[in-house]
Amino acid sequence: MANDVEFENLVAQYYEPLYRFAFSLARDESDACDLTQQTFCIWAAKGHQLRDASKVKTWLFTTLHREFLGIRRKQTRFPQVELEEAAPELPVVSPSAISSHDTAQVLATLARLDEIYQAPVALFYLQDCSYKEIAEILQVPLGTVKSRLARGIGRLQEMIGGETEGPRPEQTRL
Amino acid sequence: MNVIEAKTILLFYRPGTADADDPQIAGALTLAKREPELARWLEKHSARQEALRNKFRQITVPAGLKEQIISEQAVQAMTNYRRRRNTVFAAVASMAAVAILLFALSSSWLPQRQNNDNTLAVYQNQMAGIALRGYGMDLTTNDSEQIRAYLTHNKAPSDYALPAALQKTAVTGCAVVGWQNVKVSMICFRTGRPMPPNQSSDLWLFVVDRASLKDAPENSQPRFAAVKGIITAVWAQGDRVYLLGTEGDESTIMKYL
Repeated sequence: MANDVEFENLVAQYYEPLYRFAFSLARDESDACDLTQQTFCIWAAKGHQLRDASKVKTWLFTTLHREFLGIRRKQTRFPQVELEEAAPELPVVSPSAISSHDTAQVLATLARLDEIYQAPVALFYLQDCSYKEIAEILQVPLGTVKSRLARGIGRLQEMIGGETEGPRPEQTRL
Repeated sequence: MNVIEAKTILLFYRPGTADADDPQIAGALTLAKREPELARWLEKHSARQEALRNKFRQITVPAGLKEQIISEQAVQAMTNYRRRRNTVFAAVASMAAVAILLFALSSSWLPQRQNNDNTLAVYQNQMAGIALRGYGMDLTTNDSEQIRAYLTHNKAPSDYALPAALQKTAVTGCAVVGWQNVKVSMICFRTGRPMPPNQSSDLWLFVVDRASLKDAPENSQPRFAAVKGIITAVWAQGDRVYLLGTEGDESTIMKYL
């Protein structure tokens, strides 16, 4: 019973940020729900192996990300192309203000970034995690996170049409 | 820190978060307060970032997701419990089946189980086996009295009555063997027929308490049976059951009765 309560508290605390992260990556409500649920399912089975209670949050995000990558690799090998997506590629985003784009468009643009940039950028904008936590979630050094963020954010803004002022991310040395 | 460096640092600044606690970001923010150009850049940059952040914040979590996760987990936990329970049950059932099988096998096939079956047939089989397998005599002697004395001393049947023909046959020794927790006297004879060099007797008499056999012979009339390649004659006299065995056939053994 105590475990049930513990589990419910954990779900209550993290299901929303996890879902948003999942949706940022998957861009599909059903897939995002599945990813979130699967993450908690894995926690229920293996969470007891985690010694450090302070790592629960990053463990959950890491697990969700891994699950997402695993699913996407399967889909890459056995692509499931829906009719709507099979037609044209996403239209090139006009250089208008970001606010004129809806969330779906922004996420679609995010999805066009190289895979290594997608998760850090999503975590950056979701603002649920510190940089240190993002590094733990992605299991890369902090410097790599910042490097990927600089490139990913810059590229995203370029693609959306925003004008990136200041040093171009590609030139940034971190 | 110059303006360019500050911009590089402030790319990662997310207003309203703990990012401002980072010493580098804090330093860049301080510089922005002093540098109008940097302040303007930061304002525009922050506006863009905020606009993008808003897009991510607009991701709405489906109603009921939390409840769905919790209830699915409860179902999964129950399924796992049942699976574990079934696994344990299957393991116990398998072990029980094996135990039953072993019990059944031991009842029908295994020799130690046969030992618990105190029938005359089993007794005949086991004694014939002792005679044929080779045995070590406890006492090697041609003296019948020494044999009786030895058997008496060892609390084995020694008050046996030998048929007349057998009394005339040369003894070679004796041994005490066990059967059904009772002692059996084994008296060894030599018929005079040719024997292998390592064999000292070719006729064996086993004497046991009648009570140890649930189907002991009723009388002194010998019953013949071929057991494990030897011919045996069984009869009862008094409280004793006698089993005589030798290689050959009925006519062979009858010479000693």
